[in-house]
Amino acid sequence: MKESTRSVLLVTARTLAVAGCVAVVVAARTTTGWGSLAIMLAALGGLLAVLASYNRRFR
Amino acid sequence: MPVGGTAVSTPSGSAGRAPVAAPSGGRPRAGGGRRRGDGVFVLACLLPALVLFAVFMVVPTVNVFRMSFYTWSGFSPDMRFTGLDNFARLLDDEQFVRAFQNTVALLVVVTVVTMGLGLFLAAIMTRQRLRGRTLYRFILYVPSVLSVVVIAAIFSAVLDQENGLLNGALRLLSLDALRQVWLGDQQLVLWSVAIAMVWQSLGYYMVLYMSGMASIPEELYEASALDGASAGRQFFAITLPLIWQNLRTTLTFFVMSAVNLSFVLVRALTGGGPDGSSEVLLSYMYKQAYTNSSYGYGMAIGVVIFAFSFLVTLLVSRATRREPLQF
Repeated sequence: MKESTRSVLLVTARTLAVAGCVAVVVAARTTTGWGSLAIMLAALGGLLAVLASYNRRFR
Repeated sequence: MPVGGTAVSTPSGSAGRAPVAAPSGGRPRAGGGRRRGDGVFVLACLLPALVLFAVFMVVPTVNVFRMSFYTWSGFSPDMRFTGLDNFARLLDDEQFVRAFQNTVALLVVVTVVTMGLGLFLAAIMTRQRLRGRTLYRFILYVPSVLSVVVIAAIFSAVLDQENGLLNGALRLLSLDALRQVWLGDQQLVLWSVAIAMVWQSLGYYMVLYMSGMASIPEELYEASALDGASAGRQFFAITLPLIWQNLRTTLTFFVMSAVNLSFVLVRALTGGGPDGSSEVLLSYMYKQAYTNSSYGYGMAIGVVIFAFSFLVTLLVSRATRREPLQF
């Protein structure tokens, strides 16, 4: 796979992951409970994981 | 430091590395270290600050932890040690869970929206030669200098059900179907608070990012343009890496403002209503500690807030750590 194609795919995947995590947070808030809160915290963790994966190559 | 064309380097941490000339009339310092008198002087200088820090930061924080193990109304002399009962109560408190969910939702949504918009606007203001950009910058920055209570009053007027600016504009555009009870609908009210938070802080973060972008040398952009880099490529390959330290700092600010700013705004704009649907952790803690006279229970919520903020900030710091770039 070409380097530029791989880069585009990676950026797209990360963008989708961020959008997905935000959507999960918004959707899980509609129901109150520890389960929903756990899902929201997992989504927050997902956002931090995306951030860490983006930052890994700059370390 | 260059002096008279000659670079003079200061030995740092140089114990045993280079001989240091003794000051005239004084004893030679063993290994280049400080004299005992210097340490006493430094300690004397630091002492007032350390005392203030201990009295106003350390002691109250320790007290929050201590009080979370007691049942106390906040006024009576009766304080009863109940161990972890307050924390056990949290597990059955649905309102606490809702406040926690609202805090997490605000943290995620406000951070993503404000950071995205702030970076986008800062890049446009810095890289594009817009006419009147100083005016735009001023307009965007004004909300940051307003008191949060004033912002709450503004948004109360904007989001009012009958005479509000938003519903009025929708009526004027014959979009009556879109009119909502922005501050009275349990599903919508938190997002109304989120919009107010974004509006209040957007200009501040934009200016912060602009200051970072302004320090990037123009030659880097010129060189990349000669290589055929687009504006987007320049943003992700030059701008973003070179303002990374700013981004790290602002991410910490976002965590703090999601906890602190949301409390003031919720308190002034909705009071936590309707039916507790816009309650956030700090407002719920305040309600329990000072309105409901459950001080110990409020402090247990405070411990959870402390742990949550600390953990998220730590994870953000770990996830974004990298060597600062020199340019």
